[in-house]
Parts: sequence; structure tokens; C-alpha cells
Amino acid sequence: MTVNTTANANDNHINIYEAHEWKHSTKVAGVTWKNPVGTASGTFQYAAVRRFYDVSQLGAVSTKGCSPVPWEGNPSPRTAEGPASNLNAVGLQNPGVDHYLEDDLPKLKKAGALVVANVAGHCDDDYMQVVAKLADSPADMLEINVSCPNVTHGGMSVGTDPVALAALMDKLRPMTDKPLIVKLTPNVTDITVPARAAVEHGADALSMINTLLGMRLDIRTGEPIIANKTGGVSGPAVLPVGIAAVYRTRTALPDIPIIGIGGIDSGEKALEYLYAGANAVEVGAAALFDPVAPLRIARELDDLLDARPELAAKLAAGQTWR
Amino acid sequence: MTTFTPTHDVVAEAQAAGFFPPRHTVEITDARALADRVMRLTFRDPFIASHAKPAQFVNLFTHDDFMLMPRPFGVSEVEGDEVSVIFAVIGHGTEQLAQLKAGDTVDVLGPLGRGFNLKQDANYILVGGGLGVPPLICAAQRIASLAGSVATSVIGYRDERFAEDFVSRYTDRSWSITNAEGNVVDLLNQMEASGDLDVDGLKPVILSCGPLPMMKAVAAWAAKRGIPAQLSMEQRMGCGYGTCVLCTVDTVDGRLKVCSDGPVFTREQLGWGE
Repeated sequence: MTVNTTANANDNHINIYEAHEWKHSTKVAGVTWKNPVGTASGTFQYAAVRRFYDVSQLGAVSTKGCSPVPWEGNPSPRTAEGPASNLNAVGLQNPGVDHYLEDDLPKLKKAGALVVANVAGHCDDDYMQVVAKLADSPADMLEINVSCPNVTHGGMSVGTDPVALAALMDKLRPMTDKPLIVKLTPNVTDITVPARAAVEHGADALSMINTLLGMRLDIRTGEPIIANKTGGVSGPAVLPVGIAAVYRTRTALPDIPIIGIGGIDSGEKALEYLYAGANAVEVGAAALFDPVAPLRIARELDDLLDARPELAAKLAAGQTWR
Repeated sequence: MTTFTPTHDVVAEAQAAGFFPPRHTVEITDARALADRVMRLTFRDPFIASHAKPAQFVNLFTHDDFMLMPRPFGVSEVEGDEVSVIFAVIGHGTEQLAQLKAGDTVDVLGPLGRGFNLKQDANYILVGGGLGVPPLICAAQRIASLAGSVATSVIGYRDERFAEDFVSRYTDRSWSITNAEGNVVDLLNQMEASGDLDVDGLKPVILSCGPLPMMKAVAAWAAKRGIPAQLSMEQRMGCGYGTCVLCTVDTVDGRLKVCSDGPVFTREQLGWGE
């Protein structure tokens, strides 16, 4: 099985802890990543991950969504399992942007990580307050989360409405020179519509996909397993959805940098996203199955790109396969 | 399932670099049913065996690509470099883990979470119910090695006393009760009435793990008497190591992560029985 970093899983064993000279970089909105693999924001908490590997080895780390004040998120249970997938309804629990600026961000920068600060809000003012505070911070890039399916206001309700998304971007764009990545939801008929709205209103890059809306019931009780009733589906099951989203967006918007997310648990699947037209990828749910998955995938991809010099050269130059 | 043949020691690689071991493959050394749909699995893992504390847990993974989520189980015993867990066969994942036999492999991550805080010269009452018993077996095992400390188990079973042999192996005194006979609070009341709560002048400390209503009742009983209580919580989990924030519990300090802030919380933290 591909998520398996186990002792006897494959013959091409990589010791991810040995010092490694990265061979293949990429460029996202003018920012060079030492390799094309980052973490996806929902599953990255530095305090938890730092015990397992050196996060500065990743192309980037996208940190957990941060709001103007602490959010307590949704009640438990927050998770259920689906076929080759996980459902989550955290509801963006986080200690707030002030804590982020005092704690996580300086620690990550000190560790040498390239940081994508993920921004969450219930309304335009929330997003603006967070971006205002991050504008002068050491964060390298900002990722605007308009795609969370587990909050009643903000999140996906903005990302599924191109008019609302354009209005939000018009407010955020003048606030910072930092590259703005807009993280999009797959819960739309045509993802190129919000993608175009974001790009035409100042997005420097797009990341996709956030989770798909999903639900599981307990057949003993007939009731939803998750307290929030619905959750966001992630994991290997959503891979084809993410690949299609990247491919269609690349076709519609040939020049916008895209970070591909969804179901990546191996270097091969990361490579598939790059062939679909992504400049980089982020790894989310795979970190639930093995803490070191993002770094292992980065190492696998670094070797896979050796045999693909044309693709590797395009990525390093800020271009893509398509 | 294949016979275990290690080719790369990822645990050693991680430790050499100063990091906590990632998910890795271990060999099952024993697998047995303790009761109807209650299994005990033992695997060989020197790292987990030498680091696990009572009420810490391990993530076990199925061999099925459709069921990728970890299955977290409290460590029930450590013997040499072997680690045991006890679990109920509830769904497809535990059904698959229940098929494992000695010589098979399983993937593990751990030990995870914060365990019980155990000291020398203390009088522990281990109050458990159902599948909350395994972490208490581990606690009893550890307490037996602490100079001057004693352990009394007070266990409630639905019907079959499936863990009694394991519990009484390590405890100084062992009490149990089935649903038909009563509950653990009845046992605690009996102990109090017969003057059995204090041992050698030591006031009791409660360690508890079991169904939520049981633990709340135990916390309330302890609070009324000013007895400290450490409660090991259960919740549907994701990663098990604190990164996904899927397993929270409401405490007086806000919503905390069961997997990494716990699973052990004090009754004061939980605000139970205050």
C-alpha cells in the first residue's frame, strides 16, 4: 500500500532523516520552494509535527487556518472514516492570529521553514483583520481559506460565490504585497469560475482542492456520526477530483500558479498533479496515516523528477507542464 | 499477510536523527480471544515497550487500503520487548485486526498521548469499565514496580470478566462487579463502608478509564470526598499525535486534544463533580 513507510513496504527505501541536497525546486508566485511538496493547512500543527521530522526540509508548510480571535471549533465527534478517506469537521479551531504571531510563526521561521500562513474568517472583516496582522509578519505567503465546508459563515460560502469572492479579494489585495494564494473548494459545478474571479481580483496563486462535503451515518442509530452532521472528505479517495480541478483550471488560466491538493500519499501521485499543470503540491490527510508522509513524498518526488528533466526545468523556472 | 522480514529499520533511522519514530511494521507474537468479540494482540516493538507509560496508546493500522485511519488502543501490558493491546471487535477495522495471527505483521505508531502520573508511596484505586480496563492493567503493572505504592482494582464488566486474570496478576487487591450485580460506585461505597479506601495511612488516588457515564459518576464520587482522580478519556481520533485536532474534549481550559493534551485529564480539568 502506498501510504506505507514501513520496514518492508518497498525496495526503494529512502532514509528521510539523512541530509539531502534537493535537486528539483519549484517557483510559486515568484517564491522559490526548495522542492514542490508542502503540507496542507488543515493537518499541520508545528508543535505536533516537529517531533517527527525537520519541517524546513519541505518546500513549504501551510499552517492551520488562523482567525482574528481564538475559535473553539465544532463539538466532538469531529471525524468519521470513509472508503480510502477521512471526514473531518474541526470548524477551524485555532488559538487566533495573535498567538500565531507570537508562537507558531517565529518558531517555524527560526526552524528555517518557508511558511504559508492560512487565513480563516467568518466574514470579510475577519479576513481583513488577519491579513492586516500578517502583512508585516515573517510569513512568506498568505493562503486565503474560502473553502472550508465546516463553518456556517465565511469559508465555503465565500468560495462558492464568485461575486462575494471578488469583493473579498478587492479588500484584501491592497493590504499586502505578500503573495496571496486563494484556496478553492471543489464543491462547485465549475471550479474555473471562482478560480477566474480570484485571479481577476488579485490572487497571485490558487491552491486546490479543499475537502469535499460528505457525511456518514451510524446504521445502529440512524444518526450522523459527526456532531456537525456533515464534514469534509479528504484522503486517497479524492485524488481524481483534485487532479481534474487542477487540469481544468490550468486549461482555463494558463499562467496562474497552482498548488495541487487532494489524495496525495506518494511521490507518484504528486507527480500526477504536476503533469496536470500544478506548480507544487500540498499533502494533507496522508499525515494522519503517517506523520512523516509529507517529507517522504518530497523525497520520492525528488527522485522521480531526475528522469523528467523537461518537467523539472519548467518547474524551476516557474512554469508548468501544461 | 507475509511472514515478518525486516529490511529497513525506520525506528533506528529516526532515533539516530533525534526524532520520534514514524509508522513502522512490527511482528505479531500472540493473538487470542479473551471473550466473545474481545481480542488481545501482542507485538514485538522494543521502542514502544521501553517508552510506553500507562494510559498511553498506540495507533494500529489495517492492511486494507479502504480503511486507512489509525485504530488507537491503550497499551494493556509490556513484557520485555513485547506490547499488548486489548480491543473489542466493533466494526470492519477491528474485525480485520482480529484476524491477525502470530507471525503476521501490523503497522504501528506510538506510544502516543500523556499517561497517568504515577508516584512511589501512593495508594491507587484503579476504577475501570468494559474496554477501559486495558490501560488500568498497564497502570497496575507499573505500580507494582513502584516502591511503597499499592494498587486496588475496581472493575465493572457488562457480563464476562474477560480481563480479570490480567488485572489481578498485578494488583494488590482486586474487586469486580458485573452489570447484573451493580456498578463500580457500589463497589467504591462498599470499600468506604468497610474502611478499605486508605491503605497503610495513605489516602487514595483514583485512576479511571471506561464509559463516559461511569467516569463522570466516579469523578463525582471522588470530588465529594476530596479524592484526586486522573481520568483517561476516549474520543474518535484522527492522527493520534496532535496535528489534526479531530479529537477534542471540553475542559475548564477550553477544548483540548484528547490524543496529545490527554488522554489523561484530572477531574478538576474536566470540571466533573465540582
